[in-house]
Amino acid sequence: MSGLLNWVLWFPVIGMIAVLCVPGTKVQTIRYVTLVTTAITFLLTLVLYASFDTEVGGMQPHLSFKMPWISQFHINYSLGIDGISLPMIILTGLLFLICTLSSWTVEKNVKAYFALMLMLQSSVFGVFMALDFFLFYVYWEVMLLPMFFLIGIWGGENREYAAIKFFLYTFFGSIIMLVGIIALYYATGKGEDSFNILALQGGQFTEMTIHLFGTDWSFERLFFWAMFLGFAIKVPVFPFHTWLPHAHVQAPTAVSVILAGVLLKMGTYGFLRIAFPIFPSAAVEYAHVLAILGCISVIYGAFCAMAQNDVKKLIAYSSVSHMGFVMLGMSAMTTQGMNGAVLQMFNHGTSTAMMFLMVGVLYERSHHRWIVKPDGTKGYGGLYTHMPKYSIIFIIGMFASLGLPGLSGFISEALIFLGIFNKFTTITVIAVLGLLVGAAYLLWMFKRMFFGEVSDEVKEYDDMNKREIGYMIPLCVAVIFFGIYPMPVLNIMRASVGELLTLLAKYN
Amino acid sequence: MEYTISTIAPIFIFPFMAFVVNAFFGRKLPRQGDWLSVGAIFASFLYTLRIFGDFIFNKFSTDYYVHKVFNWIDLSYGDQFFKIDLGIYIDNMTAIMLLMVTGVATLIHLFSTWYMKGDERYGKFFVYLSLFTSAMLGLVLADNLLLLFVFWEIMGFCSYSLIGFYYEKEEAGNASLKAFMTTRIGDVFLLLGILGIWSVVGNVNYVDIYAAISQGLFEGHTVMGISLASFAAFCVFMGTVGKSAQVPLQVWLPDAMMGPTPCSALIHAATMVAAGVYLSLRMYPLMELGEVTHIIAYVGAITAFLAATIALVQTDIKAVLAFSTISQLGYMVLGIGVGSYNAAFMHLITHAVFKACLFLSAGSVIHSTHTQEMPEMGGLRKKLPITFLAMLLCTLAIAGIPIFSGFVSKDRILGDALYWGLYAGQNKVHFIVPMLGFGGAFLTAFYMFRMMFLTFFGEPKDKEVYEHCHHEHFEFNRTLPLIILAALTLGVFYSGSLTGQGEIKIFPRAAQEWFKILVAAPEVKNFESYTKEKFDFADTREEKVWEKAHYHHQSGYAGVNPDNEEGIHHAHINGAVASVIIAFSGVLLAFFLYIRRLMSPDFFVNMLKPLHRLTTHRYYFDDFYIGILLKKGLLVFNNALAFLDMGIYDRIAIDGWAKVNNWIYRASKWFDDVIVDSIAVDGTGTAVNLFNLVLRVLQSGKIQFYFVVLIVVLSGYIWSLNFIS
Repeated sequence: MSGLLNWVLWFPVIGMIAVLCVPGTKVQTIRYVTLVTTAITFLLTLVLYASFDTEVGGMQPHLSFKMPWISQFHINYSLGIDGISLPMIILTGLLFLICTLSSWTVEKNVKAYFALMLMLQSSVFGVFMALDFFLFYVYWEVMLLPMFFLIGIWGGENREYAAIKFFLYTFFGSIIMLVGIIALYYATGKGEDSFNILALQGGQFTEMTIHLFGTDWSFERLFFWAMFLGFAIKVPVFPFHTWLPHAHVQAPTAVSVILAGVLLKMGTYGFLRIAFPIFPSAAVEYAHVLAILGCISVIYGAFCAMAQNDVKKLIAYSSVSHMGFVMLGMSAMTTQGMNGAVLQMFNHGTSTAMMFLMVGVLYERSHHRWIVKPDGTKGYGGLYTHMPKYSIIFIIGMFASLGLPGLSGFISEALIFLGIFNKFTTITVIAVLGLLVGAAYLLWMFKRMFFGEVSDEVKEYDDMNKREIGYMIPLCVAVIFFGIYPMPVLNIMRASVGELLTLLAKYN
Repeated sequence: MEYTISTIAPIFIFPFMAFVVNAFFGRKLPRQGDWLSVGAIFASFLYTLRIFGDFIFNKFSTDYYVHKVFNWIDLSYGDQFFKIDLGIYIDNMTAIMLLMVTGVATLIHLFSTWYMKGDERYGKFFVYLSLFTSAMLGLVLADNLLLLFVFWEIMGFCSYSLIGFYYEKEEAGNASLKAFMTTRIGDVFLLLGILGIWSVVGNVNYVDIYAAISQGLFEGHTVMGISLASFAAFCVFMGTVGKSAQVPLQVWLPDAMMGPTPCSALIHAATMVAAGVYLSLRMYPLMELGEVTHIIAYVGAITAFLAATIALVQTDIKAVLAFSTISQLGYMVLGIGVGSYNAAFMHLITHAVFKACLFLSAGSVIHSTHTQEMPEMGGLRKKLPITFLAMLLCTLAIAGIPIFSGFVSKDRILGDALYWGLYAGQNKVHFIVPMLGFGGAFLTAFYMFRMMFLTFFGEPKDKEVYEHCHHEHFEFNRTLPLIILAALTLGVFYSGSLTGQGEIKIFPRAAQEWFKILVAAPEVKNFESYTKEKFDFADTREEKVWEKAHYHHQSGYAGVNPDNEEGIHHAHINGAVASVIIAFSGVLLAFFLYIRRLMSPDFFVNMLKPLHRLTTHRYYFDDFYIGILLKKGLLVFNNALAFLDMGIYDRIAIDGWAKVNNWIYRASKWFDDVIVDSIAVDGTGTAVNLFNLVLRVLQSGKIQFYFVVLIVVLSGYIWSLNFIS
């Protein structure tokens, strides 16, 4: 069983090598090789789910894998999953499969495109599986590489700027995180477990001080903020969010989906896996700061989204807003709040992926994304009448995104609010406003694009074809099913979240 | 009767399954699956009859039943405990609500098969209709506020879809957006209320909330400086304000007329707006505890009066009905505010019946004449005799003419309001509340008969419209719903006494008082014994767990302090006399103005010009919200914020780093070249070099080069570790 994680992690790389072996002119073969690879990878993640023991709170012992890597620094190739990472891994498997199908229309340098996608998938798995801090960092950085090229080569008209911006922002955060990693390495005496994430956990740095710039600093607080910076940029939390609209607008559809669906979750995952358990007392101490930043993200992202005329930019800001809910839920540090946050990570992954895919479908027909064109005329209009299938799927995604009960977004947001109300009442009262504005920008966008007479331009578009409907159906099923009955996901995570809360409760 | 899940759940499941089946396969079914929707809701109606019959024939039992059906969410781990159970709560009020919803909805479904015939989205209409009805039924059956909220929002979605049903029209988009967003303001408040209650009670089951109130759990909790009970009560009431279209969130309802007329009947009578009032009734003990009843009374009275004045000047037949809905909802809310619990609920039921009938009749007229403008109608009673009679009965009911249902319920609300304003020992300023109520009643009688006279009496004003209107014959799915609903506007169905107060008795006591006996405000002290039980789904999956408790109903007038018997009596006698006089004078005024034409209505218009302008502009609510708050406020703010974000913050604070780096690069290069030469490999040097490289990438765009650097830097770090260790 312990090899299973390795299979999930390395299978995309095998696929990538296979893709690289196919001559670049055989475009269709490359697509099918990628499709088969991602499909098998997705099945492997489901096998992971099947062999997952929901009663175990920590890492799954029978799935963990450990092997020395750079033994002179006690760096290990150490993998493991628990209830927080498994939903993300399954989500990654699903979204890459869907993205492969949605990328069928990519014509530019197909071979490199799919090879990079598979490389990206492997590195994302690596981040969610790594139990060695150094390994985690390596995957965290390796992930940037394919991402950078995917935006920089297959992106829109301003792609280089967006790619570099994305890269530098994330890199800035990760450099500071690296300082933290090195500091931890010294703090633990460079011993056996100095890169072992699990061994670092538990609040052993609470009393430690570090002498810097002539005064004593609390080691824990200082490096909590170092980690915070690395992860907050990835989430992204206000005020580190400005790379996201650029990256999303310029990225091709599939990359946007992966970016919003999976990569943003790496930030919040980092909090849950690293920042909170390694520095629990600082996390508890600064929970209100996280809550305030989360609240600002919710409101700020929502208001900014309302002003956008570019659909993709609008949804990018909505991601800022929705990830703010995750921050709020985490800062609550209660059962409902924390579970709600992890569930929101999963639910946002499905609903926002739907939104980006739908925008991508439309973009392939119209080659623009304007709700209102710069000259003031309507970008679309009458889509509801002309493209009924498209509209229905869009409505499902949109209402899941704005948190309609019965669809997935609601239950995680409700859990987050139930979790946080007692702790930060005023912040809750303000953040609830995000639900209102969240509905406003989405429905207003919908009204402007879908209602009214069919414009001449829209008349040219075809409704969704079978392939497009095919890859939307799993997501539709997911947002409806987990909206009605979220327990399958919550069951996976509740023991692991419970363990984390037990750890944090000691410092509360 | 033994209640089991199999006797109750079908009430919700039938229409819901009709929705699911029609949504996926409706197009392939014969008649696009309309029979499935109609049949499903009719089956629900039959199931409801059984429960209702049990409550009414079971010696007026006042039991309530809670059935935990389903453990929805369970996050318990170790000593952490969090569960959400979903269940069914049934008492007399639920039984009456269910009967009303399924009954009225069945007739509306039936009518829709006639009204929507030939529409290109015929099947789709029934899909929404089924979802809408099942959501309402789920809301009524829910045993906790969270489940109620779920269905509450789903109804919001349905109304959004139905109002925007003709989506090729731009205005339909505006109206549906407005309806959803306005009610969503209330919804967000309701959610806050739920959170507030949850923070004290630990869940939001009705019985637990009542028990918590009786045990005084709310005492001592505050939220942002105000007591938590007041906060929660106010927030929950704001939910009602949104859903039931009270001032200041009433603006969505008139626009909701964009949808097909049967859906207006559904939204305005049986489902959506009723849900808001139902919520406040259920949470009545909380409203009392939180001391927000004064606010409720004022909101209701103002709404009842303002909406009535706006209805005076409408020329669109559906708009008149829309404002009359707002006004009548105001009476219900007023009733809740003054403690007239029983009468408020009764008005909810009687209003649902006559308003559904009014809308269906209006639909019948509109379908026949192809216009909604009353000035183009006139004299239609000869062409549409059945519609005319049905509408007449309903108009008599809504106007508050004795022996009709509207009189029975509205008079009782007004009587209690009069008592509340005059005798209840409060500030005499509160007398304005019953005054607004009576004023609204007068206007109601007037504008409703104005509508009747303009539509059905006099000479046809537009010959073409009149000629094209076909003679009405008995049609099963068109006239039967009208006839049934019109018959149900008679007061005897709701109270055996003529006034609803028990003064003039027609029937033996039990039959006369059935409504009063069955419906009473929940007395929280009877829930004290309720113990919170940790419900485990796994253990009780097989058994049916019914918790049964008894709460006694109050004798006398529910909610109103019964100390002052004489005061109550006086108030009710005076109220009844005043109501009758006011109703008849309203009708007479309309008669003189629109039939006898003793005076032109224009005379009043000229006399009260500023008022007329106010009412035709609907008191500038819409202009203020959309023109100022939205366009001048929110959108400007959003644009400014977005500009700040991308134009200033991102461009200057973030991209500005590149410039700073550039300076550091030059400075360090100079430092490097001139001073340190080639020895600087320490921490700063590395960092600066990094900045240089980053900058070079920025300037040259040579990405590949950057990766080489990245790898070199990384190796450098590893190497430095090696060096240190």
